[in-house]
Amino acid sequence: MRYVDEFRDPELGRVLATEILAAVEPGRHYKFMEVCGGHTHSIYKYGVDDLLPANVELVHGPGCPVCVIPMGRVDDGIAIAREPGVIFTCFGDMMRVPGSTGSLLEAKAEGADIRMVYSPLDALRIAKHNPDREVVFFAIGFETTAPSTALTLKRAKAEGVPNFSCMCSHVTIVPPLRALLDSPDLRLDGFVGPGHVSTVVGARPFEFIPADYGKPIVVAGFEPLDILQAIRMILAQLADGRCEVENQYSRVVPYEGNRRALEVMAEVFELRPHFEWRGLGFISQSGLKLSEAYADLDAEVRFSVPGVRVADPKACQCGEVLKGVIKPWECKVFGTACTPERPIGTCMVSSEGACAAYYNFGRFAREREVV
Amino acid sequence: MQVERVDDDRGLALCAAEDGSKSTVEIALVDVAPGDRVLVHAGVALAELTA
Repeated sequence: MRYVDEFRDPELGRVLATEILAAVEPGRHYKFMEVCGGHTHSIYKYGVDDLLPANVELVHGPGCPVCVIPMGRVDDGIAIAREPGVIFTCFGDMMRVPGSTGSLLEAKAEGADIRMVYSPLDALRIAKHNPDREVVFFAIGFETTAPSTALTLKRAKAEGVPNFSCMCSHVTIVPPLRALLDSPDLRLDGFVGPGHVSTVVGARPFEFIPADYGKPIVVAGFEPLDILQAIRMILAQLADGRCEVENQYSRVVPYEGNRRALEVMAEVFELRPHFEWRGLGFISQSGLKLSEAYADLDAEVRFSVPGVRVADPKACQCGEVLKGVIKPWECKVFGTACTPERPIGTCMVSSEGACAAYYNFGRFAREREVV
Repeated sequence: MQVERVDDDRGLALCAAEDGSKSTVEIALVDVAPGDRVLVHAGVALAELTA
């Protein structure tokens, strides 16, 4: 498979692992955060972690779109879904995220008309086929997914689909990274930058990381060799005394991003003054809502939502996992009360969640097995 | 995914995944032609893959 097989070559993987081993300073502990949940998934699926020296630690960041949705937001979605005549649509992962009284999947079992879609365009299609029903799309995700929602809302407006609306819970990646870098809990040496978000925003928005915080960042693809090469590039920057944004994923990511995607997002969305993130609390200008021009398609304007902040269950330590403060297996309920089948926390729901990645790929061991 | 057919009027393309499954993809954000490979997310082509 072109663009895939060549990035899974075991022999090249061993070469990169050897280069990484040669690049680390003995006695120095390196802590790198992979921002994106897709990277976390690949790291454990392909055993990338096992190819790294023991003094290179990967910390998992807040880039899983489902994991950062707070419980109160799920409750808001369920409240809309229970309105008479509503067809509520969302991505599959979102169906299982627990709210304070249950998940969307449980609300569906209790009679609410909640449907899984692969794309917001599917939700728009449902609206066109059901003109006597209100169809709401629960939009989540970072800048990777926001253009899809924006294009769908543009289509809904252009085609005049009055029964379609969007509950916008899109978030942006830079503010939580800044919040993490400002956090005294975490000492990081560098970042594996988010590949798919960068497809849209480019690599330029991450220039604040070296400029303001003195940390290197390498935007990376999602195959095992992509991630190994990115780690090799971060180590090279540290060894050379350099600190900059580099783009390992140049086959997909232009440094300036996708101009058309940024334009459509700017037209359809505007920044919220603040948005609540699971585990990270309220972060200024980190969430998107529909712009004035699209307010008539805003489900939160069209419907009444509780908008209540709900604290996470005490047993759940998703917040600390999302901040990279603890590893998933250090959570009190990991793999016991909280499993992918019966998740308590969001990080166990999505395949991109760190807890689900650890659980699904058998990372129950307290110690890393380094080869 | 690989672009198989482009419908410029509707801004859509028929794309095939490596497993042979096909789907309709929004192409408003990229310039593509049949044979091109694209990165698709949530039904939208976000980028053309380059060598």
